[in-house]
Amino acid sequence: MLNYLIRRIVGIVPVILVIALLVFLFVHMLPGDPARLVAGPEATLADVENVRRSLGLDRPIWEQFGLFLWNAVRGDFGYSLKTRIPVVEEIGLRLMPTVWLTVCAMAWATVFGLLIGVASAVKRGRWPDYVGMFVAVSGISFPAFWLGLLLIDLFSVRLGWLPTGGFESAKSLIMPSFTLGLGVAAVMARFTRSAFIEISREDYIRTAHAKGARARVVVWKHTLRNALIPVITMVGLQFGFLLGGSIVVETVFSWPGLGRLLVDSVAYRDYPVIQAEILLFSLEFILINLTVDVLYAVANPEIRFK
Amino acid sequence: MRHMTLALAATALATALSFGGAEAKTLVVGVADNLTTLDPANANDTLSGGAARTMLQGLYGFDSKMQLEPLLATSYETNAEATEFTFHLRKGVKFHDGTDFNAEAVKINIDRVRDTKVPTKRQSLVSMVDRVEVIDDYTVKVVTKEPFGAMVNNLAHAGLFMISPAAIAKYGKDIDRNPVGTGPFMFKKWSGDLFETVKNPNYWREGYPKVDGVTFKSVPENGSRIAMLQAGEAGFVYPLPSELAPVVSANQKLEVVKVPSIIIRYVAMNTMKKPFDDPRVREALNYAVDKNAFCKVVYGGFCKPAEGPVPELLKYSGVVQKGGWPYDPAKAKALLKEAGYPNGFETEMFAKNNSTYIRAMQFLQQQFAQVGVKLTVTPLEAGVEAQRIWSVAEPKDATVQTQYGGWSASTGDIDWALRPLFYGKGFPPKLFNVAYYKSEATDSGIEAGIATGDSAKRQSEYDAVQKQIWKDAPWIFLTVDDFLVGQAKGLTGAFAAPDGGLNFEKAEFK
Repeated sequence: MLNYLIRRIVGIVPVILVIALLVFLFVHMLPGDPARLVAGPEATLADVENVRRSLGLDRPIWEQFGLFLWNAVRGDFGYSLKTRIPVVEEIGLRLMPTVWLTVCAMAWATVFGLLIGVASAVKRGRWPDYVGMFVAVSGISFPAFWLGLLLIDLFSVRLGWLPTGGFESAKSLIMPSFTLGLGVAAVMARFTRSAFIEISREDYIRTAHAKGARARVVVWKHTLRNALIPVITMVGLQFGFLLGGSIVVETVFSWPGLGRLLVDSVAYRDYPVIQAEILLFSLEFILINLTVDVLYAVANPEIRFK
Repeated sequence: MRHMTLALAATALATALSFGGAEAKTLVVGVADNLTTLDPANANDTLSGGAARTMLQGLYGFDSKMQLEPLLATSYETNAEATEFTFHLRKGVKFHDGTDFNAEAVKINIDRVRDTKVPTKRQSLVSMVDRVEVIDDYTVKVVTKEPFGAMVNNLAHAGLFMISPAAIAKYGKDIDRNPVGTGPFMFKKWSGDLFETVKNPNYWREGYPKVDGVTFKSVPENGSRIAMLQAGEAGFVYPLPSELAPVVSANQKLEVVKVPSIIIRYVAMNTMKKPFDDPRVREALNYAVDKNAFCKVVYGGFCKPAEGPVPELLKYSGVVQKGGWPYDPAKAKALLKEAGYPNGFETEMFAKNNSTYIRAMQFLQQQFAQVGVKLTVTPLEAGVEAQRIWSVAEPKDATVQTQYGGWSASTGDIDWALRPLFYGKGFPPKLFNVAYYKSEATDSGIEAGIATGDSAKRQSEYDAVQKQIWKDAPWIFLTVDDFLVGQAKGLTGAFAAPDGGLNFEKAEFK
């Protein structure tokens, strides 16, 4: 197990290097002159050239990549072209709010999604199933921006209980994490339900029932545990996506997250920020995949690492 | 149990109310974007300039009608050639760090922005300055290389706000995160989408500021920004999108303020390309568009037809045609026929890719269709726009046929509304004359207008230039925006100037 982990972690290095190269090339292939975008709408040609010089964008592209890589290895991702604040600081400022939002949303979504999914599967074809799936389908179909604005109108404007946006206290987390988690909970419920139904048709479940195991034990121990494998995969993926920031929820709730930062940076051709953010997202995904693989073994001891 | 719940609720309510009272003295401003910098010499967005204005000030500033107003200078004189500008400075003013404001400070600041070794984004505001002379402690003279009649306006721009020389020396390039000025508020914190200032107790203007501080919160979603205002979290929101104005006016505690702007909307037609090289075609398209309908459809009625090539709130502007270019599709068709296009023609329009611009282009597409002109609408993402319009090196390589755009001359002087857009030497990539319009009369008028310090002379030159441009019609002259501010009733003195520059010096809750 430990050997396996070490090998996987060492394997991350070449992957990240390739990603770094690809990101660098893609970002520089985007149409548009960053110097002009940075200089702004009223800039004269002389202003634009000044900006180009001061940003080092007049140097050859291979030199820029070499410099980027060398600095990145040392943890220096340069300065944002837009704000002139160190990229590490720009991202650091938004990383924790994004993590908090993701963790809160995923936590309640996972718990509720699992419960609804199991309830629907166990009571298949009866009213808990219909209610559960109705909620799930609504959860997927609800546009997040609409739900978000509705919540703000109710809880901030009319009732005055919660702040409209920003991240200033734990209270600020309630509405955004609910909005963000709803879709996840819905997907989770449907996933759990179908995985659960599939597993419950297996021979060993019939055997468990036949040998007289209590229904509760069969549901929670035998069926759910086995049904968890696809669910864990899904949770991992969703977690990765949400860590990349959610543009809609961040916009509606003025959440200082990574999603908006990425969109703004692309619009502004803020190369250093785009590169660092995409590298971070890649790293997050790789680590999450690793965690998911390890969790498989926890859920099902028959899975071994070789 | 029930009583306890009630008691708890009452306590919570009381706490909330008392907090509300305590916070009411800090003005919270909801804005749409993040600030980009606190060094206005390196800001190219009006919003960052507005944030800087809470802390920093120029020799002159703009009032709510975009007229010059003395701030750190009390008066100025200029010579007839508009090459020497002598400013008399306000006495007894100190920067937030205790440094004296004087002629030396002015020299250091202007020299900082025009220094070519450490380029700033706003260098072009003072690139014509030859030298700055300190006459005595409170008198400073700015000498230009060539006549430049708009000098005082350029110095009133946010790019030339005065920063403490001690702070410039101490922070160097990091001055953009450590602003030290003479303004009514002092810097407290800037991080991500939150920017905070506190009251300057030693502010030079007697009796001000009236609020304890100003905080900017950036809230990109329009609905959420209005919700902040409704929930009492913000006292002032800008911009207020026109479709949400009714929501704000319906609320007893809030009000909508309409601000006539200096933002003009237009379609530039590439006068070097067929069919737009024929002035009759350009006139025809001017007749083909109903500007009042454009206003209603695209800007919810919050604008009015342009009555000249320059918004009327700019200094030296004039009304060329009352009510704007008339709407007359029959005349448009006749002109097109005369020009050899009885069945119209096909053309393409470029613009930014936001929803308002796309709506504008679609409206124009429909209007053009009425006179037989088939328009292809091409929205461009900012980077692509820069590449396809603004970075084209030679006019002959330009692919732009028509472009829908807007312009706000942030110096408040007509020169910056004419030279970038209509000057024959201002084709992209140098400036923004995307109509590739060149007229001897216009060029010489623009040159003569800036070459004098005599207001009457400038006025007569610019009157002629505006008439000439209107006659040549390199643009479809559309509208001038009104923009909207939402604010709490009882808030006075806070305003957005016609260029969108925010000003909270005299903000007060009554």
